[in-house]
Amino acid sequence: MKPFTFSKSDKISKALSGKNDTVHFLAGGTNMVDLMKKNLASPDALIDVTSVLSDKIERQDNGIRIGAVVRNSTLGKHELILSKFPLIAKSVLAGASPQIRNMASTAGNLLQRTRCPYFYDTSTPCNKRKPGTGCSAWNGNQRMSAIVGYNEQCVAVHPSDLCVALVALDATVNVMDKKLKPVRIPFDMFHRLPGNTPELDNNLPANAIITSIDIPDNSFHRHYAYVKLRDRDSYAFALVSVAAALQIEDGRIKAARLASGGVAHKPWRWHQAEQFLVGKEATTANFSAAADLVSKEVAPLAGNAFKKVMLRGAVETALQNCLTA
Amino acid sequence: MSVVKGRVEGIAKVTGAGKYAAEHRLDNMCHAVFAGSTVTAGTIESIYLENARQVAGVIEIVTHLNKLTVPGLADDAKIKESRFGLPLFHTDKIYFRNQPIAMVIAETLEDATYAASLIEATYKETPAKVDFAKEHPRVPLQSAGKERGTLSAWENAPFIVDEEYNIPAEIHNPMEMHATIAHWLAADKLLLYDKNQGVVNVQRTYARLYNIPQENIEVNSEFVGGGFGSGLRVWCNSLGAIMAAQQVKRPVKLVLTRPQMFSLTGYRPAAWQKVKIGANKEGKFTGILHQGKNASSVYEEFRDGITGITRMVYNFDNLKTEQSIVPLNLGTPTWMRGPGEVTGAFALECAVDEMSYQLKMDPVELRLKNIALDKDPENGRPYSTNFLDEGIRKGADMINWKERQQQPGALTEGDWKIGYGMAVGMWGAGRGTASAGIEMGKDGIITIKTAMTDIGTGTGTAMQNMTHTFTGMPVSNIKVALGHSTLPAAGSQGGSTGLSSISGAVAAVCKALKEKLAAYAGLKDADITLSDKGITGNGKFISYAELWQNNNLTAIQVEASSSPGEERKQYAFCVSTAHFVKVRVNIKTGKVKLERIVCVADGGTIVNEKPAANQISGGIVGGIGMALMEEQLADTVQGNLIGNDLAGYHFAVNADAPVIEVAFINKPDPHVNPSGAKGLGEVGIIGFAPAVANAIYNATGKRLRDLPITPDKILS
Repeated sequence: MKPFTFSKSDKISKALSGKNDTVHFLAGGTNMVDLMKKNLASPDALIDVTSVLSDKIERQDNGIRIGAVVRNSTLGKHELILSKFPLIAKSVLAGASPQIRNMASTAGNLLQRTRCPYFYDTSTPCNKRKPGTGCSAWNGNQRMSAIVGYNEQCVAVHPSDLCVALVALDATVNVMDKKLKPVRIPFDMFHRLPGNTPELDNNLPANAIITSIDIPDNSFHRHYAYVKLRDRDSYAFALVSVAAALQIEDGRIKAARLASGGVAHKPWRWHQAEQFLVGKEATTANFSAAADLVSKEVAPLAGNAFKKVMLRGAVETALQNCLTA
Repeated sequence: MSVVKGRVEGIAKVTGAGKYAAEHRLDNMCHAVFAGSTVTAGTIESIYLENARQVAGVIEIVTHLNKLTVPGLADDAKIKESRFGLPLFHTDKIYFRNQPIAMVIAETLEDATYAASLIEATYKETPAKVDFAKEHPRVPLQSAGKERGTLSAWENAPFIVDEEYNIPAEIHNPMEMHATIAHWLAADKLLLYDKNQGVVNVQRTYARLYNIPQENIEVNSEFVGGGFGSGLRVWCNSLGAIMAAQQVKRPVKLVLTRPQMFSLTGYRPAAWQKVKIGANKEGKFTGILHQGKNASSVYEEFRDGITGITRMVYNFDNLKTEQSIVPLNLGTPTWMRGPGEVTGAFALECAVDEMSYQLKMDPVELRLKNIALDKDPENGRPYSTNFLDEGIRKGADMINWKERQQQPGALTEGDWKIGYGMAVGMWGAGRGTASAGIEMGKDGIITIKTAMTDIGTGTGTAMQNMTHTFTGMPVSNIKVALGHSTLPAAGSQGGSTGLSSISGAVAAVCKALKEKLAAYAGLKDADITLSDKGITGNGKFISYAELWQNNNLTAIQVEASSSPGEERKQYAFCVSTAHFVKVRVNIKTGKVKLERIVCVADGGTIVNEKPAANQISGGIVGGIGMALMEEQLADTVQGNLIGNDLAGYHFAVNADAPVIEVAFINKPDPHVNPSGAKGLGEVGIIGFAPAVANAIYNATGKRLRDLPITPDKILS
């Protein structure tokens, strides 16, 4: 790890004025410190921003606002979350370990980097780590790679569980830019696809800071599920995951949300399947048809063809589990 | 035997008072960190150290160009003769990715780590071989072990199973990383704090490499945070620390990083196997052909005893076993918990299960029909004790085996298929030579001592228990000292021989103590009992105070040693496990849940049930990993390991394991050693993975012969 200076900021304006390309913000540190140890991030300085950002979950007119440094463990047990947005708790508790969730912040969860094994191994080419060097996973081990939205430059996936629920629930990311101007980014627009700039994970403006996340009110607190398939039952990233939420009235689906992790460079919404479900009865046959629509959208790589079958099963299982949640 | 509630070292471990190798502090100590090769095969052309040298705190950087030559590695012939393995900094050749090419020695760990990251090298690359599946067909098999009968005698058997099985490489990953503090006290005198499973082995290794007397090397390994076999060899962490300490003339600490643990301290090698079994209509095996190939490195041959298990468990007339080694550009593999047998049992016990379905016979019945209970089929010697049949029956009862359906896929609950599977494990109950000492003071406190390490298995606790049993002294008065080369010599703690070996020594030294105390008391008969206050013999009590005063004593020191003897020529010795599992398999997602795990183990007398059950359930947790998730892959183009850390390499966590129900036969082996107890370290994992694979077949009708059985394989 490169030596760096550390300071704790007491004002957001000060934190932002001190920020530049070689100065990074630090919240929980659960990914940043790993990246530094692996020589993937080599900041000259870290600014601890845990005192300048909100750690509160607050009721608003049309939803809730989650402060940027609300801990993952808080999201997993907060009364407001559990009663109105239980999908959030369900997804965040499917990730990491209790120790990590106790440290990790909400904003940091959005900004965590891919777990593609080649990204972490500096002895291999990786366009995300070092643009222009090539993608090792393209001809390499693809077990953790994308099945939708990828290109030859990068097949990495975003590792978050929480973000899958946030994109499903149409959250908004509140940002303050370097000039202290507030910016609102719809969650679906926050993370990027690799395109020609696989080194960029998201659309956070340069040297800006995430201040909070808004989630609009919804009626998905009765029928929701988060199904995560992975190589072991805890402390493993998703092979595929599915967040499903249904609003059911008189046996018919009034609104539906379906999103996945482990499939793309960003948390992925299955809009077609959602639209299909709306107005239909909540039956096994309709769930199965929705799962078919999802699996038609993906194009697995040679090394992860199984993900298509697994995703189909996970969507069906998640929708089914919505009825028993 | 009586049971102590906790571990003798438990408090020291949980409070942090017990010091592991890297936790010791020596005056003026500095830190060494390896920089690894970024190519997989080739030759180093140049190493650029300037950026690293600029880092504050860097004292020296060692490479193959400036190292102080280790006498035992001075030339190619000596390297070969040393059998040390990787000739650290004594070659410019690169055998595998992340092989150390340089070592930074600096004032702090942080300085050394940062500087090591700045080292760059150029290489002349050569093609690398890391793909076991691609390489193994090119390596021919060779006879392994004595052939029994002939192949032709059973090739027309009415029932034949003939299948191939594969396992990937698995990594030991003990919690404590391999670490060494080396300090040259004089030109020929060395002090080591080291993580290993045998201090005497470490002493011998460096006595040979540096051509200095063995007793001049002091090795302290009092606390060892797990090993699973990785500590049975001496690796480059200790050699690096020793070389560095010599170079800078200061004590040096070297701790491997977790990723380095994946390349530099061995692993269970990938293996291909083929098992062919013939059986007659009654379900009696008529012959077995077992072939196995395991991966090794290009600079050293490691042979896993894959086919050994087929020589011991079942009784049949015709046997042929063949093996070979497949060199790859990876670090050398080594023994890992249940070495050889774990790998072999996967193929054998799956094949036996496959045979049971061909025969339409309950696999429990098939095994009871074929297991060799009376004598070891390999040498014809009667088993001293072998209760595998009892274990199988008891295990079947515990898991409610009668609920199992012979027809695969017959039990269904929604998207879940339910199945039952079983398999057996066996391990030869070895015993080595060991010495133990007792020191006793006037206060009646005794310390039982040996050089043997306790890697977390409970050796120290067992020594305390046995000392209590042999002398009568309450355990509160018995202290334990172990894991230090200045204590009475003992072999390495491996192959499940630790307890068996040390029990003889403890018995012998307890007898020596009783004889000495009896003599001081003027008793002819040494059949005395010790209490915290004094001894009782011949109906008479004499206090320690009196004894000490009458004989003008300060402290009593006794030492004794014990070895296996004639019983090894008369009997065969084994430990065994009968594994039973109930699984649920989700047909839509491929998810496998282990619902129940039952294991009945025969390890002779159980000295202390808590650590004994711990060994079995720990082995089974390893087996869950082997069955369902553990897999060390290398990129087949570049040769780098995929996911060489604890997030990327999956082994089982608590959430993957149900309550593991362990039961013991707990009947003494009257001939193995004075305690009647046999080692349980290996046998818990042996046979577990096939029990899972067999249960998955019973649940789904899918016969999966390649481990690990991850969800994608269920869905394929």
